[in-house]
Amino acid sequence: MSGPALCASRLGKRYGPLEVFAGVDLRVELGEVVAVLGPSGCGKSTLLRVLAGLEPPDAGEVTETGEPVRGPSPERPMVVQGATLFPWLDLRANLEWGPRALGRRDAAAVTDRLLAATGLAGSDHLLPRELSGGMRQRAAIAQVVANEPPVLLLDEPFGALDAQTRLRMQEWLIGFLAERRTATVLVTHDVDEALLLGHRLVRLSHRPARVVEELEVDLPPHRSRATLSDHRFVALKARVLEQVLDA
Amino acid sequence: MAVQAGGDTGLDVAADLPPASTHARRQPFTGWRRVALGLVLPALLVTVWSVAAATGLLSTRLLPAPADIVTSARDFVFAERRAVLPGVVPFRGAAAEHVTASLGRWGVAYAIAVAVGLPLGMGLGLSRWVSATVDPLFQALRSIPITAWLPIALIWFGIGEGAARYLVFVGAVSPIVIATADATARVPRQLVDTARMLGTPRRHLARRVYLPAALPGIVTGLRLGLTLGWTSLIVGELTGANRGLGAMMVAAREVGRLDQIIVGMVAFALIGFAADFLLRSAARPFVRWADG
Repeated sequence: MSGPALCASRLGKRYGPLEVFAGVDLRVELGEVVAVLGPSGCGKSTLLRVLAGLEPPDAGEVTETGEPVRGPSPERPMVVQGATLFPWLDLRANLEWGPRALGRRDAAAVTDRLLAATGLAGSDHLLPRELSGGMRQRAAIAQVVANEPPVLLLDEPFGALDAQTRLRMQEWLIGFLAERRTATVLVTHDVDEALLLGHRLVRLSHRPARVVEELEVDLPPHRSRATLSDHRFVALKARVLEQVLDA
Repeated sequence: MAVQAGGDTGLDVAADLPPASTHARRQPFTGWRRVALGLVLPALLVTVWSVAAATGLLSTRLLPAPADIVTSARDFVFAERRAVLPGVVPFRGAAAEHVTASLGRWGVAYAIAVAVGLPLGMGLGLSRWVSATVDPLFQALRSIPITAWLPIALIWFGIGEGAARYLVFVGAVSPIVIATADATARVPRQLVDTARMLGTPRRHLARRVYLPAALPGIVTGLRLGLTLGWTSLIVGELTGANRGLGAMMVAAREVGRLDQIIVGMVAFALIGFAADFLLRSAARPFVRWADG
């Protein structure tokens, strides 16, 4: 097996007469975060569902380290906006679900480490509805990374959070992904988020979505809230915003 | 995007407040206050009824006074059991006998209704094949009133035990199937996707995701089925059984004992209420997550 962690070539999807996206190429390497930016309703979420193997493409192919993707897998989980936690289970049981499904004996130890890494230690007995929005999103990400996937797909994971919580969560996620060298596709419509988290930015057009631009995000690797006022960030943001608004 | 000053990492659990309840309804009463409020209307009814009976406003031939009904109830439960001729339905001291007979019939039939209703409901909710092939027949059958099943039940199962059980089954199974199918079909796709992405095999999805996620809806169906099955029981027991609360009420009607009929009605109400309470209490730990 070889090739990029995740690769999509000439990917297309349609629902009846509605063409959602067409000819989409995407490559993500280990340790890389690719931010996919596009207008609302352009098919970003559908693209991510196809990459996750939750829906088959109508054209093209998705491969993971060279192997064709044929369905959902713990190697390639997706986290969506809102709750994906199992509401009837407490936080610990939610986090242990993945390792237990794979028959791992160290599920409890993995969960302890994740609870500490996500700042949720001490909340392990709480039900999802007893957690705040920020805690729930951290827990949802922790739940899928418990299986240590090489690829992670994030669909506007912080879209429902207020600006302050979102920024704190973004800073946390930058460190969390860097530590694990997870190949990540982050779908967002927020330019700040795309530039803060992404190493590369892929911009999609209106439906049927196509890749209209790929951009290396030339910013220091250790990003934080301070990056938002860095002159390079500000210049890059202005440029991207201009292109988005002109599109 | 607003930039927050300071070095807060955002990982302080105490800083994250749990979300407020999204329900517009006010908090329900609990404990003794709830019990007391629930007793207000029955107490008022009995008071008005007693006064009406005592003042002659209400003929005791049409409705006996509450005190007479209490006396009959006491006889029904505590009086010494007398020997009766075969085929005669006893009343004095026969409460345990009748209640046991009714509960036995109902228990067996309800258990069968649950055993049939849950898998059928889940099948209808999960599979478009099952839904397309079974649903039309099921919907047609459930439109037939319980009483319309009685003649055929008597022919198939004979007078008494079998017919009564069959009617309880017919009454209980519909709400269980409908609620289970509906709750299963409404399980968010996201939960199923997440389970699959976490490595859960497809064959485990029904037990590990659909069943627990649909459980609050299923419990509602089980409660409705329990009550409907219990009320259907009387139809079956009106047809020649000589033990059971329904049989006792038929015998009381034949001798014009309104007080005994009302004792039977009260027993039905109390047992139905208690059974629902027990089911709700037993299910509560498993559906607590869905509370407001």
